[in-house]
Amino acid sequence: MRFPVIKNAWLALAVVAAAQSAVLGYMIYDRASLLRAGREVVLPVVPVDPRSLFQGDYVILGYDISRLKTTLTEATPQMAPGKPVFVTLSKGADGTWAQSAFGFEMPPALKPEDAVLQGRIAYAWLDGGVINISASYGIEQYFVEEGTGKEIEEQVRDRKIAVLLAVDASGRAAIKALMADGEIRYREPLL
Amino acid sequence: MLGYRKRIETDLQAWESKGWIDADGARAIRGDLATRSTGIGMAPVLAVLGAVLLATGAMTFVAAHWNDMPRVARLALLIGSLWAAYGVSGWLSMRGHPYFAEAANLLAGALFGVNIMLIGQMYHLSGSLPAAMLTWTAGVALAAVLLRSNTSLALAIVLAGAWSIIRTGETEGIHWAYLPVWAALFAAVTLTTRWRPAYHLLALSLSIWVVSAGSLVEGPDRHEYAVLAGLAVIAAAWFGRDWIDRVIAASRPAICYGLAVAFAGLYAMQFLDLGIYGANLWYAANGMPLWMLAAATLALVLGALGLGAVAGNQPLTWLAYVGFSLELVTLYFRTLGTLLDTSIFFLLAGVLVIALAWLAWHLRQRQLHQGGTA
Repeated sequence: MRFPVIKNAWLALAVVAAAQSAVLGYMIYDRASLLRAGREVVLPVVPVDPRSLFQGDYVILGYDISRLKTTLTEATPQMAPGKPVFVTLSKGADGTWAQSAFGFEMPPALKPEDAVLQGRIAYAWLDGGVINISASYGIEQYFVEEGTGKEIEEQVRDRKIAVLLAVDASGRAAIKALMADGEIRYREPLL
Repeated sequence: MLGYRKRIETDLQAWESKGWIDADGARAIRGDLATRSTGIGMAPVLAVLGAVLLATGAMTFVAAHWNDMPRVARLALLIGSLWAAYGVSGWLSMRGHPYFAEAANLLAGALFGVNIMLIGQMYHLSGSLPAAMLTWTAGVALAAVLLRSNTSLALAIVLAGAWSIIRTGETEGIHWAYLPVWAALFAAVTLTTRWRPAYHLLALSLSIWVVSAGSLVEGPDRHEYAVLAGLAVIAAAWFGRDWIDRVIAASRPAICYGLAVAFAGLYAMQFLDLGIYGANLWYAANGMPLWMLAAATLALVLGALGLGAVAGNQPLTWLAYVGFSLELVTLYFRTLGTLLDTSIFFLLAGVLVIALAWLAWHLRQRQLHQGGTA
C-alpha cells in the first residue's frame, strides 16, 4: 500500500507551501493576539550572565520569580523538569509587580487586580527541607540586532531594566516592551 | 558501478578465453551494462550542497537581526522565499529535472524552519526550541509525503533526531515521545518512495536512541538493554531473513545495525559507564568483571565475522573488523586489573582466534572439496 499521489504536481506544491505558511501564520497570530489582548504586567529584571546563540544575539533576562522557594510538605507534588508552576503577581506601590503567591495548579480564585504567570520547572533541588525551584516562563530571551546587546546588558546589570509583559488568562506571557527607569525603551510591534 | 564494470570486464575476458561464453554473449552483457543508469552523478549532488548553503545563508540572515529592514519585510521576504523554492521545484520537475527539483524541496523545507526561527526571534520566545523543532519536522514530513520527496524525507528524519537530542538535553530522561514520531516517519518512507538511504537514516537514528537510552535511565547506566536489543535484532534478522527479504531486502543491513548497537552497548558498559563500581577500574558499572565483558565483546565480533563470511555480508565483516580494533585499542589502555592480567587475556584471546582461523580454513577446504565433487 502506498499513499495516493496528488495527480497535479503544482497542486501538491501549493498545498505544502500553503500548509507550512498557515502554520507560520498561526504562530504569528497566536503571539500577536497575546500581545494585543493580554493583561499588562511590569516585571523587574535581574542580571544573568549574558550569552549569544543560534537565532542571533540575545540578552538573557532573569527575574525574581525565576528562583522559587517553598518548604517541603506532604502535599508537595513531585518536582520534575517541565512540570508547571503558577506564580501570582501583585502590583506594588512603585508600579512594578512582584510575586505574592505561587503553587503547582492554577489558583482557583484570583483578585481582579492580580495576574497569574504560568511557568515550567527547569530543575529543582532540596536543601534542608526547602525546595529550590528554577522556573522559566518563555520570556527569558530578548533578541537584539547583532552587536547591540551590550547596552541593554549593562542596564540589566545596573538593575534599571524591567519588562512590560502581556499576560493572558491561562498565564502565558509575551514581552511587549523593555522599560528602563520606568520608561518604555524598546516597544515591540505586533508584526 | 564503475568498479563493478571494471571487475566484470576482467571476468568477461577470462570467461571468453576459457570458452565459457562466446563473443556474442560477452557483447550482449557489455551492452546491457552500458544501458544501465550510472548513478545520480555530480550535478544533483552539487545542487543539494548549493541548497544547503542557501539555507545556511538564510539562517544567518535571521541571526543577524538586521533592524534596518523592518521585521515585517524580513518575514515577507522569508515566506516569499519559501513559496519561491516550491515554485522552482515545480518548474524544475516540469522541465524533467527531478534531482534538481529535490534540491529545491530541501531548500524549501529548510526555509520553513528558518521562518519558525524568525518568528521565535520576533516575539522573543524562549524555552520553546523543542516545540519549534517538532513543528519543523512535521512540516517537512508533510512536504515529503505530498511531494514524494526523498530529500524532504531525509531532512525530516534528521530534524526529528535533533528534536529528540534537544528535548533529552532539557529533561534528562529517556525521550519516549521519539518512538511514535520515528514510527510515523518510518511509515512515511514506506508509504511513499521506500528510498533506501532514508531507511538507513531511520535505522541509524533509532540505533543512537537505543544506545543513549542506556545512560538516560534513572540510577546507574544500564547499557545491557542496548546489548540485548542489538542481539535480538541480529537474531530476528538472521533467522527471519527469508520472511523479511520477501517484503523488503532489509535483513542484511539489519544485522549490521544490530551488531553496531550490541557492540556500542558492550563498549559503553566496559569503558564509559559510571556506577557504584566506578572507582574500581576492572569492574563495569553493573559490577560485572571487565574481562568477562571483554570476552563477550570479542565473541560478538568474531561471531559477526563468521556470519559475514557465511552470508557474504561485506559491510558486516567490515563493521566487525572496526569493532575488533576499537575493543583492542581501548582495552590496551584500560587494563584488566594488572598489566599481567591484561597480557594473559590478550595471549589467550590470540591463541583462541588462531585456533578459530585453523578451524575456518578446514571448513573452507571441506566446502571446496564437496563443491568440486558435487
